[in-house]
Amino acid sequence: MAMDRKYVAAVLVFVVIATGLTFASYQVFFAGFTHLTNYSKTPGYDLSGTQLFSNGTLDLQISRVDGPDTYGGFIVLVQILYPNDTVLYQWNVSQLGHVPQSAIRNEFPLHPVQSDGFALVVPLGQNATVVLQAHRYISPGTYIVRVYDVDGQYAAYGRKFQATVAVG
Amino acid sequence: MDRSEGSIDGTQMALPILRITLGWMFFSAFLRRVVNVPAKMNPSSSAYVGGKLITFIPHAWLISGVLEYTLEHPALLYEFLVAWTALEAIFGLFMILGFMSRLSGLALALLVWGIGLGAGWIGTTCLDEWQIAAVEGAAALMFMFTGSRWLSLDQLIAKKYPQGLRIGRWHIHLW
Repeated sequence: MAMDRKYVAAVLVFVVIATGLTFASYQVFFAGFTHLTNYSKTPGYDLSGTQLFSNGTLDLQISRVDGPDTYGGFIVLVQILYPNDTVLYQWNVSQLGHVPQSAIRNEFPLHPVQSDGFALVVPLGQNATVVLQAHRYISPGTYIVRVYDVDGQYAAYGRKFQATVAVG
Repeated sequence: MDRSEGSIDGTQMALPILRITLGWMFFSAFLRRVVNVPAKMNPSSSAYVGGKLITFIPHAWLISGVLEYTLEHPALLYEFLVAWTALEAIFGLFMILGFMSRLSGLALALLVWGIGLGAGWIGTTCLDEWQIAAVEGAAALMFMFTGSRWLSLDQLIAKKYPQGLRIGRWHIHLW
């Protein structure tokens, strides 16, 4: 009967493992026991690492961190804003739809960020540096760089698609 | 309780209801990539499954570093996908046939949670990938304990070798 006790103990251990994985991942992936969230619903972007230079060069560091895995997202507007939210300069959809691939540096070779003629397409999980030129002098100071998804939003899941940058 | 002999009870007779479907979930993944749509295993095709792994990165659990390293090394990524697909084919087929079901249960649980840690947060309609990982993972772990004693090859093997695989004084219950 010693064998049976070991068997029962082993089964109980694996009941805990299977149930524990299920519940733990439910919380980790979806905050299911606290604030239920599905990060696959709507596109989200992170601009951490974005840099702006006084000669008008913007190194837009963009990674797509939320939203559907099979589609988009599509960036249709990139803005440089003063801290009071007025626009200093912006790139519209016809410019963003035609960014040359030589101005885009992707972290991963598969599913690259690219212009498709209609927008700047940022596949889920990709992380890229997109170099844009304002062709104008930008005086020293603090600015906000913001991007808009084609759905008109510049925030999702409590994260704004923007970065605060300092021009020295 | 006798779990080493080839005895068949009512519970064992019901297990193929789950076992064959569970095995098919893995074996059919191999079929889709190798037979139906071979482009899925072609690194220069837009259908290449390697691209799916990028989509796991933003909210992956515990394995973000491994994922990023693999994706930055395309040759390694390809080897990984070939090995993974082969394991899904082998242990998926084993589970369908009821061959070494206990070992296959363990292997399938590791495979499904390997994907689950990365993809678990993905699912636009339901919590799709999480449901897959949780249910298939629990089912596979269950077969690690029940084995398979009906409509299975293990049923025949267990009649001849009821103590499992013998290595020295150890008996490994692979079936």
